[in-house]
Amino acid sequence: MRHCCFPTIMTAVLAMSLGGAPRALSHAKPASAPVKSAGNFDPHDLTGVWMQDRPRPGTVLERYWIYELTAEEPPMTEWGLAQFHAAKSSYGVHAVPISQTNDSLYHNCTPPGFPRAYFHAFPIQIVQTPGEVIVLFEWDSLRHQIFTDGRKHDTSLGPLWMGDAIGHWEGDTLVADTVNFNDKTWLDRIGHPHSEQLHVVERIRRVDHDHLEDEVTIDDPKAYTRPWSGRIVFALKPAWTLAEEFCEDIRSFDGIEAQEVTPSK
Amino acid sequence: MRICRVGIPFAVCCGLAILFAAQSSIAQTSAPATKSATAAQPAPQAFNPHDLNGVWFDDHPRPMTVMERYWAYKFTEGEPPMTAWGQSEYAAAKPSFGPHAFPLAQTNDPVYHTCSPLGFPRIFLYPLPFQIVQTPGEVILLFEYDWHRHQIFTDGRAHDTSLGPLWMGDSIGHWEGDTLVADTANFNDKTWLDRTGHPHSDQLHVIERIRRTDHDHLVDDLTIEDPKAYTMPWTAHLMFVLKPKWTIAESFCEDEESFAGIDVDAATPEKK
Repeated sequence: MRHCCFPTIMTAVLAMSLGGAPRALSHAKPASAPVKSAGNFDPHDLTGVWMQDRPRPGTVLERYWIYELTAEEPPMTEWGLAQFHAAKSSYGVHAVPISQTNDSLYHNCTPPGFPRAYFHAFPIQIVQTPGEVIVLFEWDSLRHQIFTDGRKHDTSLGPLWMGDAIGHWEGDTLVADTVNFNDKTWLDRIGHPHSEQLHVVERIRRVDHDHLEDEVTIDDPKAYTRPWSGRIVFALKPAWTLAEEFCEDIRSFDGIEAQEVTPSK
Repeated sequence: MRICRVGIPFAVCCGLAILFAAQSSIAQTSAPATKSATAAQPAPQAFNPHDLNGVWFDDHPRPMTVMERYWAYKFTEGEPPMTAWGQSEYAAAKPSFGPHAFPLAQTNDPVYHTCSPLGFPRIFLYPLPFQIVQTPGEVILLFEYDWHRHQIFTDGRAHDTSLGPLWMGDSIGHWEGDTLVADTANFNDKTWLDRTGHPHSDQLHVIERIRRTDHDHLVDDLTIEDPKAYTMPWTAHLMFVLKPKWTIAESFCEDEESFAGIDVDAATPEKK
């Protein structure tokens, strides 16, 4: 087992992001009414450290965006529902204690995969090269490497934890298309399923200097009756850097469970 | 357990590496690799020495047997100058690689049974490429192996001693002429320095002098300092070649089964 640790930083970040620390109150409604920012920006420049930026209701469980893509239940197929019911997440409305969860992250430190990597309370850093937009996750050092050099999907790779991602610009929106997934991960932290047929389309747009939106569309005919989508909103954190965060073993999660994971219980 | 999964990509990559090694070995039968490379080059391609961006891969000469390629598992051909503590740690290590290799079932290499992170600088000793990405304030090495990241801050900040002990350490750097000097400290003591079990303590301090010697080649001169493990600082010379058409694949250590193929194919071939 391995992976995740770093209790001090993790706890600090979680405390900041979940605990209603002062900075969390600064953007009341970024999703529907982005805060105007004076800074000029190049909409094709997505570089920087970004952190999920949503309103912060009083309880963690009201913040669905910390553990899933939408507040509504996605339209699962029969297979999808069966998978979802078999999942014993340690997070969200149907949470079980960590000792009873079958979330493979917790017992085996497997990678969260994509797009689940977005649903953890850690920042991301975007770096760009002439042919790539690379999302670096603090969580487990994961990478979401989007090739924007015109290449096609490489079907010889796969199945992959993070998928094979290609993208192109449509005006000021980066459209990223990710396929070639394995079926070992959950789509989110509460156990919504996906199969190897998962196909994720992201429309990533810098709405102003300080904010980034990612409209994520999930298409997986085995798990869902139709494509569905949700929005992830990020705020720029100019003074932040990514820390080192390796999942080492299940003990890495002890403190989190106690403090954050199932506070409503 | 986990970390090196990568069944397919790893295999593909290892295949590439082995193929590459084989081709290089063939090339060497006619002439030494380093000399022929220089002689064969027509006009040197222009490059910006402060631009290290690109995918890079180990570029040492390739003798026929894996064991002759010390750079595949340790930093210098000779023994580094260990302290008494360092020697006792080294004697206790049961690596699965190198001249004193044990079968995988008997190794106490922290990576093999638990897929723990390789740490730095051991990360350099794997036949997988890395990509360098630069931002105005950072030079970031993205390793194919297990998503490891060596993030060197070049914005003038000092070491942040509030950060942990870390697996990959805390890195800051600055340019001295055309050489990037990177200074990495704040390590934990959970990793081996290399694949043969040379030790380090949390006093490990690594200085790198990274320089693009021409368009296609990069060298990294490491100075390894750890007064608990070594009687004096010692150095290593790493060489990399640009791979313009390569990209780094996904390579994830999942469990020790991930190493089964490597053990048979590459790790201890002369034991067969």
